[in-house]
Order: sequence, then structure tokens, then C-alpha cells
Amino acid sequence: MEKYDVIVIGGGLLGCFTARALTRYRLKLALLEAREDVCTGISRANTAIIYSGADTKPGSLKSEMCVRSAQTFANLCSQLGVRYSPCGSLMISFGPRGEEVLGKKMAQGKANGVRGLALLSREEVLSIEPNVSPAVTAGLFAPEAGTVIPWELGIAAAENALHNGAEFQFNSAVTRIEKVPDGYVLEAGGRPFHARGIINCAGLYADGLHEMVAKPSVRIYPEAGDYYILDTKASGVIRHIIFHEPEEKGKGLTLVPTVDGNILLGPSKIPSGEKNDAFPTSKEGLEWLCGLAEQVIPSLPMEHVIRSFGAVRPNPFYVRHDPDTGLLHRDDKGISDFILHETDGAPNFLSFIGIKTPGLTCALELGLYAADRMAALLGNLQPNDAFNPNNPAPLRLKELSEEARAQRVREKPSYGRIVCRCRGISEGEIIDSIHHSIGAKTVDGVKRRTGAGSGRCQGGFCTQRIIEILSQELGIPVCDIQKDRPGSKVIGGKDHG
Amino acid sequence: MADCEILVIGGGPAGMAAVLGAWEAGCRKILLVERSEQLGGILRQCLHSGFGLATFGEELTGPEYARRYIQRLQGLPVDILTDTSVIELKPDGTALLSGAVSGLTNIKAAAVILASGCRERPIGTLPVTGTRPSGIFTAGAAQKMVNLGGYDFGQRFVILGSGDVGMIMARQLALLGKTIIAVLEKEARCGGLERNRINCLERFNIPLRTLCTVTRVHGSARVEGVTVRNLSDGHEEYIACDTLITSVGLIPERELAEQAGGGGALPDWLYLCGNACYVHDLVDDVTYEGEAIGRAAADFVRTGRKKAAPAIMNGTRTAVNGKAGKTICIACPKGCPLVKTDTGWSGALCGRKDPVPSE
Ligand SMILES: Cc1cc2nc3c(=O)[nH]c(=O)nc-3n(C[C@H](O)[C@H](O)[C@H](O)COP(=O)(O)OP(=O)(O)OC[C@H]3O[C@@H](n4cnc5c(N)ncnc54)[C@H](O)[C@@H]3O)c2cc1C
Ligand SMILES: Cc1cc2nc3c(=O)[nH]c(=O)nc-3n(C[C@H](O)[C@H](O)[C@H](O)COP(=O)(O)OP(=O)(O)OC[C@H]3O[C@@H](n4cnc5c(N)ncnc54)[C@H](O)[C@@H]3O)c2cc1C
Repeated sequence: MEKYDVIVIGGGLLGCFTARALTRYRLKLALLEAREDVCTGISRANTAIIYSGADTKPGSLKSEMCVRSAQTFANLCSQLGVRYSPCGSLMISFGPRGEEVLGKKMAQGKANGVRGLALLSREEVLSIEPNVSPAVTAGLFAPEAGTVIPWELGIAAAENALHNGAEFQFNSAVTRIEKVPDGYVLEAGGRPFHARGIINCAGLYADGLHEMVAKPSVRIYPEAGDYYILDTKASGVIRHIIFHEPEEKGKGLTLVPTVDGNILLGPSKIPSGEKNDAFPTSKEGLEWLCGLAEQVIPSLPMEHVIRSFGAVRPNPFYVRHDPDTGLLHRDDKGISDFILHETDGAPNFLSFIGIKTPGLTCALELGLYAADRMAALLGNLQPNDAFNPNNPAPLRLKELSEEARAQRVREKPSYGRIVCRCRGISEGEIIDSIHHSIGAKTVDGVKRRTGAGSGRCQGGFCTQRIIEILSQELGIPVCDIQKDRPGSKVIGGKDHG
Repeated sequence: MADCEILVIGGGPAGMAAVLGAWEAGCRKILLVERSEQLGGILRQCLHSGFGLATFGEELTGPEYARRYIQRLQGLPVDILTDTSVIELKPDGTALLSGAVSGLTNIKAAAVILASGCRERPIGTLPVTGTRPSGIFTAGAAQKMVNLGGYDFGQRFVILGSGDVGMIMARQLALLGKTIIAVLEKEARCGGLERNRINCLERFNIPLRTLCTVTRVHGSARVEGVTVRNLSDGHEEYIACDTLITSVGLIPERELAEQAGGGGALPDWLYLCGNACYVHDLVDDVTYEGEAIGRAAADFVRTGRKKAAPAIMNGTRTAVNGKAGKTICIACPKGCPLVKTDTGWSGALCGRKDPVPSE
């Protein structure tokens, strides 16, 4: 049985950044991920915003981490070779209730140490965002907000962790954890692992894993959400992240001009109760988005929608065992701050349960927090002097000058052959993504790493070619290439051809 | 930077015809750029017959029709770059080309003809909820997988949309022994050509369910089923299937033109033809128009003046889409209404004396 100092469960943003932070110490470390790749869970379906830190209460861990993260995010991205768009955010109101909220957030943001916040008049809002509905009354501008591609960030953190010594085990769902005198024995993907300490970053399923070693104390009550993505043809309609503060009570709409030049719209809020990691969309949610979009940005070209997707919010609540009924009793209010859960009977077992917004923004900070706590618990750890925080960015041809690009094509002709016509991605970039240290193994893996298949034709032209390239580069038959999870083969029918 | 008189983008029937038209009008420095390794465009994957009746008086398969034009082009000293994409068309008329062998180069032409065809509308543009597992394909992508890849990609199919490509795929999959549970159409009548409805669906007992649509996809890894809604009474039912094919519309692929025009009007030096201009039902129309556009572009190169766009031949379209219920001839792609003559019935457009009535 392989023995480790620390095992991280789950390869979402939190798991990847926790693993990266742990490699600052000299220890033997593995990350166990149930799926075939990193960032296929909540980290794949969220709003992609780097929050300034004006939205949360002063004095909380969340606010402290968020402000620090936002102010250093560009730096983190350049370290990891990840694209970042520091576009700023604009919260807009449509009447006195909304204006009051803006005022509150302004004060709260100042107390949290957010820089550059400014209350804008209606005219000022319309001058920087001319397509916002003329019914707007005021705005709160936060220059230090931005947007990133969440999985691009997570993959880079994972690769950096790998280069610094972490091991990654995919298709390794942890199904059993047993407490033994010198730590824990886990069963994952049918194999046993031993670890002195465990950090549970299993996203939607973190409560279940926690309960493998502890009594129920925190449970996740999920809630669904829906998003729309607009084609890059709509880019320019908005320039900042827009938070709509509705006049009536209820949720407002969020719009994000993404790093790739699309517009992201969402999320809706749909009570669902289901931990469905296939993330289905709902009719109510999508209709709600369309309705609000028309109110907030009347000229938003909804004919340019190219895709919708679903998300699941992992809402955490404290639960207590009710001795009278024998049932679990849930607190009325959910847990709002970020908490790294520990339990008396389970030493060196740390759990992130239900880390919601701004978990993406704070991924670095949360990872450092968990790693340092684990280091303190294990004691006597040496720093890893060889730790290198930098990760080389993949070659992105579109970012090069014409001369530099032409030179690349001369050196490697496959950089000249365009496979994804909508995003302009070359065969060479797809091949690179497959041979990266945490390389693509599936069609969706290629899409997350290169963008190929995510444009206006949604893979209609290139999916077959991408499958053929995967087959050739990985040396496995075309009929064994999966779209994403096991059982999702594209060619060869439903695993029977 | 290399120069040429006319740059043609796309080597499908439209682009090939444009080259021929420009050549015949006296233009000599012509460059044709095609993304694929071979010329022919969408025709390469259309293995069914039904092409070229108006032009050649015979029914050819797509590749046969394409071959006639490829051979004519090969006889001319025009430059053809295959395996090369135009990735940018700048407002000054410079095109940026990218290819594995041809490298990355700028080409400046006096006139550019965009013949880049069309793309299929993806499912994401429809109000279909649920999951997005493996097993959802657009009809054209499915056609390419079967006909150019030889791949098998499902057993039990639901086809959403009764466009021509969808119906042609339904027939082909039925011939391969697959189960086609139904073709669903949200309108009250078939969306494609009447002759395709008869030849591809009716003859194979494939049910066409009009006023029906898919509202939800089920399955997490692979498609497991779809929810089908009857739009006339609102009734919903679950249909188990492992593959969903969508044939819900084609969109002209002319982003390069939008780029060159900078959002405004098309520059004078830029021409569009074939499916990049509007979606055509018949390849004969595409060829005819392509040649006319080629001549017009050659004229522009010579005179520096753009004449009014050549009239678009649209005559066959109404007849082809013969109203459901009306008897048409299904012997050829024109699908003419039947007219009574002294000697019996004949096709109104093609004059065929041995028409095959649809009913
Ligand atoms: C709708 C929505 C919008 C959001 N928007 C934003 C935003 O705009 N800005 C922001 O800062 N934050 C945002 N967040 C928060 C942020 O997305 C999350 O905090 C972050 O992605 C959480 O990552 P994670 O690693 O905890 O979860 P996940 O990404 O879900 O990762 C968990 C991983 O654990 C794996 N796993 C599960 N069970 C097991 C097992 N038994 N064994 C092994 N592996 C297992 C899963 O396969 C998965 O890969 C949003 C969240 C939601 C839900
Ligand atoms: C399934 C199907 C069945 C049909 N059946 C019939 C029938 O039976 N009878 C009939 O008469 N007609 C039929 N048609 C209609 C007819 O064949 C098409 O309308 C016609 O082929 C369109 O020609 P095109 O040249 O405009 O486009 P395409 O054939 O699509 O060619 C466009 C070409 O441009 C290339 N290209 C695009 N962008 C670039 C770029 N940036 N750089 C370089 N190259 C580029 C593409 O690779 C492609 O080769 C059918 C069409 C389909 C799809």
C-alpha cells in the first residue's frame, strides 16, 4: 500500500490549490480525484468572477481573503500562465431599494479595505455602460474585480503542484476511509492508500466524505442555477461585470464579459435538492434569465446565445441530531463564512464543506490556509526549498505577433492547421494540450485547455477531428475516446460498437 | 506579401464555380484557398444522388458532381491552396492564410470572393433544457462521421428537425440497420424538400411527428432519452434513445465578411456566393450563381467599379418546396409540380416526360 503524508480528496479549484500549497513543504502528497480530469465539478460551472470584496461582511475570513485575493489576482495569473481580464465590476440599481444596497456595499467594501470603490450617478453609469437600461438610477464601480477562466486557473495550479512533487490519481473516487492508529486508510478506485493527514475538498460530496470519519455536523443542501453564453459577436455590448440589484426582493442578474470575449449570463436560483453532477438546466431558470436580460440590457442580442449550462450550489448548513425524532435537524440559516472543519474524533482530517462564492476568487488563499493548518497539525515539516510557484503558459498562437506566429508554424507545421474554425485553434495547440503534464484525455478536456469546440458552432465542425487527434496522440482506438466521464464515448455508440 | 487579382475563399461548389467564372471573364491571377485537404466542400460527404440534374441533365452523387468541377479546375493554371484556412480578412482587403504546408502568409487581392458555406445551428441555441451528455450531433456532423469517417455512433435515434440533412440522415441510418424512433418537427409541416420527405421518411416508414419538439435531454454520460412535447396540446412524453440528431437550421458562415466590413456595409472588393450568401437547396443554383459572381468580380478587377449584384437565381426554390399535399414529381431534385400536356403529365420545370408522382 502506498503511504503518504497527506492526501487531498478532490481535484476542483480547492483541491488543486491545496495540493499546490502543500508542495511548499517537504512531504509525500497525493491528490485523489474521482473523475478523469481536474475541474469537472463546481469549478467548471460558476460565474467566473474575481470579486473585489465589497459583498461580504467585515471581519469575516471570507472578506479578508477576498480583498487580498482580488488585489493580487493579476499577479497569481501571471505566475501560473493564466489569462486574466481585470475588467472591473459595476453594480447597478433601479430605484431607492437598490440604491440603499449600493450605499451599504460601498461602506462595507471600504471597511473591508477594497480600493477604488466609487458611487456613480445614472449618467456616469450610462456613459461607461451605454447599453444598460435607461431606467438605471445609480451604480457602484469596483475597479479591482475581474474575470478568469476557472478551469484554466485550476489546471495551471494542478500542473504546478505536479511539477513541485504532488502526485495525481484520476478515476480514483474515495469510497471508504478507515481510521488507523497512524492515520487513515482510504480506498479509492479499488486501491488502498495510507495517509497521516487528509484534506477533504470533495465539493458537492464533501459532507459525505466527512461523515466517513465523523458524525454528521454539516450537510450540503444543493440548489441549482442556470447560465447562458452568448457568442463573441455580442462582445462589446458590456465592458464590465454587471451586477443587477433588483428593486423587488429576489435575485438579480449577473453579466460577465468573459476572457474569451463571450458574454456569460446567470445564474438563476432554482430550488432543486439534487446533487446532480451532470448539472442539468431548467426551463424556469432559463426563462428567468431571458426575462431579466431584457429588463437590464434591453439590446442584449439573445439571438447570439450559443449554449446554456447548469450549476449546483453546495449550500452548507449545520445539522444536529434530534434525539426525540431520531432525525437530523437543520439550522435555519446556512453557514456564511468560510470554515475549515475539524472533528475531535478524527485528528488531521480537515474538510472544506460547501465553499461557495467567492471560492474561486479565494482559491489560492483557501489552499494556503488548509495546507498551513495541516502542516501545523503534522508538525516538524521542512519547507520545500525547490518550490517554484511559476507555471509555463501553454502556447496560445492568437496572442503572438504575426511574425512570431509564422515562425512557430515553420518550426511545427501543425500550428498552421486550423481545427476549430470558430475559435481559430490549431492542431498543434490541441496536440500540446494532450501532452501537457496534466494533459487532456477527453474531448471536453481538450475544450477546457484550448477552447476548441466552445465557439459558435459548438464543435459541429471539429469534434470528429479532435477525437481522431486524441486517438492518434494517446495511442488508443477512436471508439475508446470519451466526451468526458466514463460511459460517454462518442464514436462506437453506447459502449457497444 | 504575395498578390493576386482574385482570392476565392472556400473550395466547395460555389468557390469552384467562382474561379471558373472569373477565368472565363479573362482574369488570370486567381488563388483558391480551401481549408480541407480536398476540394468539394459539403458535397464530399453527400453520398446520395440527386445533384446536377439542371446542369448536366443527369443525377450525380455529391462527390461525382464535385469531381467534374475539380477536373475543370485542374486543367487551368490557377493557384489552389488546400489544407489552408483564411483566418482573418482585414478591412484593406488583405487576407491572412494559415496552413500546415503553406505556412502563415498575407495575401492581398484586388477582389475577394467569400464562398465559405454555412454551419449548423447547435442545440445550445434552442430552449432545450436538461443535460448535455455524449450522443448529441448535428445532422451534418453525423453525415460526415458516417460517410467520411465510417464511424458508428449510436443505435436508437431521435431526429429533431425535418431539414433536408436530417431526413437524408434518417434514411441513411435506417439503411445501416439503426432504429429511427421519430423525426420531430415543431412546425405543422416538414421543413425540408417534399421529395426528401417522401424518399427518406415515408418510404422507410419513419414517423414524422409535426408540431412536436424536444424540451429536455436526459442522461449524464450518454443520452438516455428525451422529453418530447406536443405543441398543439402541451402533452409531454419521455422517449428512450441513445442518440439525438439535430437538423434545426443552417447559418451562412460569413464572419470573415463581417470582419472585413468592420460591422458596416460590405466593402466593394468583397463578394459572397453559395451558402455563405444564403442557404441554397440545390447545388445547380450554387454553381450558376458562383459563376456569375466570378464574372462580376473579374469585371470589378478590370474596371474598379462594382456593378449592382448579379440577380440571384431563385426560380427553382418555390417549386422545389412544393406544398405538402400537392402532387409533385420526385424523379429529380427539382421536385416540379406536374403539368398536363397533350401526351400526359410532365414536370413543370424540367420538362421530364416520365414524371414520378409523389402520391
Ligand atoms: C453557481 C456558482 C457560481 C459561483 N460563482 C463564483 C464566482 O463568480 N466567483 C467566485 O469566486 N466563486 C464562485 N463560486 C464558488 C466557486 O466556484 C467554488 O467555491 C469552487 O469552484 C469550489 O471548488 P471545489 O474544489 O470545492 O469543488 P469542485 O470543483 O466541485 O471539486 C470537487 C472535486 O471533488 C471530486 N470528488 C467528489 N467526490 C469525490 C470522492 N469521493 N473521491 C474523489 N474525488 C471526489 C469531484 O469529482 C470534484 O472534481 C460559484 C459557485 C457556484 C456554485
Ligand atoms: C446534406 C445535404 C444534402 C444536399 N443534397 C442536395 C441534393 O440532393 N441536390 C442538390 O442539388 N443540392 C443538395 N444540397 C445543397 C448543396 O449541395 C449545397 O447548398 C452546396 O454544396 C453549397 O455549396 P457552397 O460551396 O456554398 O458551400 P460548401 O459546400 O459548404 O463549401 C464551402 C467550403 O469552404 C471552405 N471554407 C470555409 N471557410 C473557409 C476559410 N475560412 N478558409 C478556407 N476554406 C474555407 C469549407 O471547407 C468548404 O469546403 C445538399 C446539401 C446538404 C448539406
